[in-house]
Amino acid sequence: MIRLTGIRKSFGKDDVLRGISLEVNKGEVVAIIGPSGSGKTTLLRCINFLERPDAGEIRISDLYVNCSKASKKEIHALRRKTAMVFQQYNLFRHKTALENVMEGLVVVRKMPKDAARERGVRLLEKVGLGDKLDAYPSRLSGGQQQRVGIARALAMEPEVILFDEPTSALDPELVGEVLAVIRQIAEEGITMIIVTHELGFAQDVASRVVFMAGGAIVEEGPPAELFARPKEERTKQFLRRLAPEYSI
Amino acid sequence: MKLDPSFIGEALLKLLEALPTTLAITAVSVGCGFLAGTAIALVRVYRVPVLHRLAAAWVTVIRGTPMLVHLLVIYAGLTLIVDTLTGRLGLGWNSARIPMIGFAYLSFSVTASAYCSEIIRSGLLAVDKGQREAAQSLGMTAMQTLRRIIFPQALAASVPNLTNFVIGMLHGSTLAFVVSVVDINAKAEIVASTNWKFFEAYLAAAILFWAMTILLERAGGAIERRINRYHKGGVA
Repeated sequence: MIRLTGIRKSFGKDDVLRGISLEVNKGEVVAIIGPSGSGKTTLLRCINFLERPDAGEIRISDLYVNCSKASKKEIHALRRKTAMVFQQYNLFRHKTALENVMEGLVVVRKMPKDAARERGVRLLEKVGLGDKLDAYPSRLSGGQQQRVGIARALAMEPEVILFDEPTSALDPELVGEVLAVIRQIAEEGITMIIVTHELGFAQDVASRVVFMAGGAIVEEGPPAELFARPKEERTKQFLRRLAPEYSI
Repeated sequence: MKLDPSFIGEALLKLLEALPTTLAITAVSVGCGFLAGTAIALVRVYRVPVLHRLAAAWVTVIRGTPMLVHLLVIYAGLTLIVDTLTGRLGLGWNSARIPMIGFAYLSFSVTASAYCSEIIRSGLLAVDKGQREAAQSLGMTAMQTLRRIIFPQALAASVPNLTNFVIGMLHGSTLAFVVSVVDINAKAEIVASTNWKFFEAYLAAAILFWAMTILLERAGGAIERRINRYHKGGVA
């Protein structure tokens, strides 16, 4: 289980997160939606300390971190319990697809190479890239790269996978293949927090949708409910603008 | 006066005797310069407190002064310092015991460190910051991230500039004649004046340097092609 309490972050005078509290249960898929600049990506990046929160607490199963005085060791512990899938994929460009997936296992988890290779092959096959093991990222399409990114995250067997707008950089015709993979692993009961603009997808895979605006959580609930009957005016506005089909 | 083509060949053979000296000076200055330059670049890019200011100052001072001046200053300065120290401590030896080529090694390494640090620094800056974030998110330490992810890519991005740098140091090594080291160029001077065939001797030296440069260009090209397997030309 993941519990965020009072997460605050500001960049200079700009208060990006104004005390966010959020709980995610094991096996839950939480989609975070909201207008750009609402702080949703920053929140995600605070969970694994790619951004250092100014204040707040993070608890992931048995690990508790007080953000304002987190030590290097605690940050590493947090990163070992999480994995991230990036908007720009961020595959290691000097390593093949398989090496990308193996890297964390061998270097961080100290897994023997053979075992890491085995897991890497299995996961790449799972995301439909069994024939691209030795391809460098520059030879892969955006959709393929992102699927390698997902395999790399899965390999670490984290408590939670953080998806940062995983399809935003993709050509429209490649979005489907990535969403299909995410949907597939969601069904396996892996805990996920997904920042996304794909409302249809959020409705489809998320067990809960969180709507953020202005650095705060405005409203959250099961997707069917939140999309069909938003309570807050801010949510209604957002849905009207982004997805007229949901408007009431 | 007319050209004596056969003497060019003759001179070439004589110049080959000095080839090891030129190669040694180049190798030592490039090697030491690369290590020191990498350290300087890392200190600057990671903004190590205090040290990064010293590193920046070092680079402006060294790049702001000619290679020949480095050699002369180190030759004169080091001799003075060593003689003063050994005299005070009564060690019973003096700077004359330092081999002349040692001054070339030291001063050209100093020169190389500043230039090389800028090459490595630009390579480090060319690596996309997403690469670091991906490594961190996997739980890699800063050292693992640098060694396995950032540095290999920075180095790959630096290859064309590094090739250029090595060629520059090879040609710069000719300045060693100032401290009476007999490198290829100094040897050409000797061959020329003892035979009164200056043009032929200098031409032979030019041919020899050009040949070595072609080899370096080839080597650099081969490394670039290997890297292009994943880079597809250009970073980020």
